[in-house]
Amino acid sequence: MTTPDAPPPALRLARVLGGLLALVGVGAIVLLVLSIAGHPDVRAGFDASLGAERPSWVLAILDRFGLLVPTLVLGLGTAAVALGVRVARRRAGAIRLARDLALWASIFAVGLAVARALQGVPWWPTDGPSAVVAASGGLAAAVALAGVAVVARLLLARLASDPTLPTEPLPAREMRSAWNLLLPALLILVMVAARPLEATVVTSLTDKRFASDTVPEFVGLQNYRELLTVRLDPLECRRDDDGACAVDRDGDVRWNTLPVEALREGYRTAYVWNLPLVTRADTALSLSALDEKWIRSIWTTVVFTVVSVSGELLLGLFIALTVHSSFRGRGAMRAVMLIPWAIPTVVSARLWELMLDDTRAGVLNQALLSIGAIDAPLAWLTDPALQLPSVILIDVWKTAPFMALLLLAGLQVIPKELYESARVDGASRLREFFAITLPLLRPAIGVALIFRTLDALRVFDLFQVLLGRAQQSMSTYNFDVLINNQQAGYASAVGVLIFVLIFAFAVLYVRVLGVNRE
Amino acid sequence: MTVRRLRAAARLTGFYVLVFLVAAYALIPFVWAISTSLKSESELFGAARLIPREPSLDNYVAVLSSASFMGSLGNSVLVAGGSALLALAAGSFAAYALGRLRFRGKQAMLYAVLAMTMFPQISVLSGMYENVRELGIFGTQAAMLYAYPLFTLPFAAWVLTSFFRGLPREIEEAAVVDGATTAQIFVRILLPLTVPALVTTGLLTFIVSWNEYVFALAFTLTNPSAQTVPVAVAQFAGIVEQQEPIAEIMAAAIVVTVPLVVLVLIFQRRIAAGLTAGSVKG
Repeated sequence: MTTPDAPPPALRLARVLGGLLALVGVGAIVLLVLSIAGHPDVRAGFDASLGAERPSWVLAILDRFGLLVPTLVLGLGTAAVALGVRVARRRAGAIRLARDLALWASIFAVGLAVARALQGVPWWPTDGPSAVVAASGGLAAAVALAGVAVVARLLLARLASDPTLPTEPLPAREMRSAWNLLLPALLILVMVAARPLEATVVTSLTDKRFASDTVPEFVGLQNYRELLTVRLDPLECRRDDDGACAVDRDGDVRWNTLPVEALREGYRTAYVWNLPLVTRADTALSLSALDEKWIRSIWTTVVFTVVSVSGELLLGLFIALTVHSSFRGRGAMRAVMLIPWAIPTVVSARLWELMLDDTRAGVLNQALLSIGAIDAPLAWLTDPALQLPSVILIDVWKTAPFMALLLLAGLQVIPKELYESARVDGASRLREFFAITLPLLRPAIGVALIFRTLDALRVFDLFQVLLGRAQQSMSTYNFDVLINNQQAGYASAVGVLIFVLIFAFAVLYVRVLGVNRE
Repeated sequence: MTVRRLRAAARLTGFYVLVFLVAAYALIPFVWAISTSLKSESELFGAARLIPREPSLDNYVAVLSSASFMGSLGNSVLVAGGSALLALAAGSFAAYALGRLRFRGKQAMLYAVLAMTMFPQISVLSGMYENVRELGIFGTQAAMLYAYPLFTLPFAAWVLTSFFRGLPREIEEAAVVDGATTAQIFVRILLPLTVPALVTTGLLTFIVSWNEYVFALAFTLTNPSAQTVPVAVAQFAGIVEQQEPIAEIMAAAIVVTVPLVVLVLIFQRRIAAGLTAGSVKG
């Protein structure tokens, strides 16, 4: 595909630009090696004078740089060198690809320069592991990079518009355009999703704390062991003098505590169940764990998810069926249904906090009192037995109309003729619902269910605002350990476990929904 | 005949009662918040009544003259607007590739984008917290702008992909025959056709970013001046320290919610369509 009889200026330009591209690739790799080798934490790993105190340089690299970014830089740097060589040989495909990449590079470099200028970064910083690395973080380097990228882009465009280059076949063109268009999104997702996820996984294997600056130690799966160790014990009830089970003031049976050695190992009881069919009346089953707050947060989240999602489905189905028939004001009705969804969850939490108040300001208590349903105001958000039901109530309020909208879309694709012929056959409304509506709505229900389940499993806002530390969901527990206790390593392990759980559900969701919905 | 008509009328009345109940269910907390925000602090602890005895805008004046609250409004506009624009820019490019072009690896990319829309933010909070500190933007609005594409970008890309797929292919084929380049087709033909979709997606991502709480809370703990609206509302303490200024909180809640409600009322049809296409989180 080389064009031997190309005019000399174009050939020279191709060589210069190709060389420049290769240089950029080599430069990126050199810069990467210099910053890693020059990092004080990594160098400390090679410092023999530290003796036994010497930290691990592998962990220092993993902790400060990760694997993802260095691998990407190495890969892309090598690819840039290869591309540069092909541009220098005036390969048509390489020139077009380089031209497209140069556009993103110039946008990125100009953005970087503007960001550094806004941040007030000095032109020529001097505090870095080496002069090269330090200077590369300055405004001067960013401006120079932006200039080179913009000029290179213009020259490459001129090179690519050369009529002597062979024309590009359509499939190749679509392929190049497609990956080119995906590139910004991919880069952003690597930066904001893959990189933090990697950092979380690496940190979860260490005992890192945010407050300290020392290189963390590798602890293997210790954090996970602590989070996942549980034990079940049968407990006998405490006996009165007459041998009957002792009860406390509320009339609940008092159970014995765990065996001493279990307590000494760090086990704490999360739940005690007296199951009528499984255990005798005077024995109970206790679930204990090394981190009983975490186990409790899992159970709380699961109960929240199951109850609120099924409540939302039933109520949402009811709303959808009501709104589905055509009537005057249907458009307005749909707008009204979107309002609970659009109100920020934090705001609705505070709104309901007021309505559930146990003073005279709490309108729900006042209403229940006036119809005689209760004798005294209920402390919806402070009574432990009512906290979870209250949060579920609020979540159902917020999400049922949204669920209804999802189901409404499913209702609209059911052919009207089915109902007409059913009516001719004299089917009742109820039979219509179970024979036609429900079976045909099943896909929509499936999508809505899995989707809402995923959402409910990550619940944060409602628990954080309304209950704080009183009762925690998995997410608020994670936040508490990370931000309030600054236990980065342990909190990261919690985060990874939540990720694995939700990812399993997401795979299920993707399989149900599929990507070919054309 | 009259019996039948009466029965029909009864059925219609029953139906509208149902509709009214649904509307009341969705609106009552909001209406109650408006009512509370118009009450004086002393009236709050009298008997609960819907119509305030002496409605006044004092609470709104207090909220709107609070520099910290107005600052958080500004932060939210900046963060939500910025992330919506960024998500639209990168998302529309990606969606064009995913919705209209044929290329190897497309299926995998579609799966990846769909799975990304369900990414649990809390799981990467720890890593994001570290990254944001390394970048030196911890405690600033830039931290939120950096983190929000995690959920806005996959969502925007997914919703826009389904919009792009819905456009007829003939338009593009005609343009290809006329010798237009991919960039020309995208900018001159497809983009104008998708302006409505872009507006909807932009609005949805704006709302989702406006309402975000996890990152906003974690990144602004040390610097209240970078707080966004949800954090401000959650921590709103008012001027009097002794008791919770409920009426002022409700005024603040109404101030931050009304823009969203107005947007939703104007664009309700499109938003409902976009939500169903993307099955967005609530």
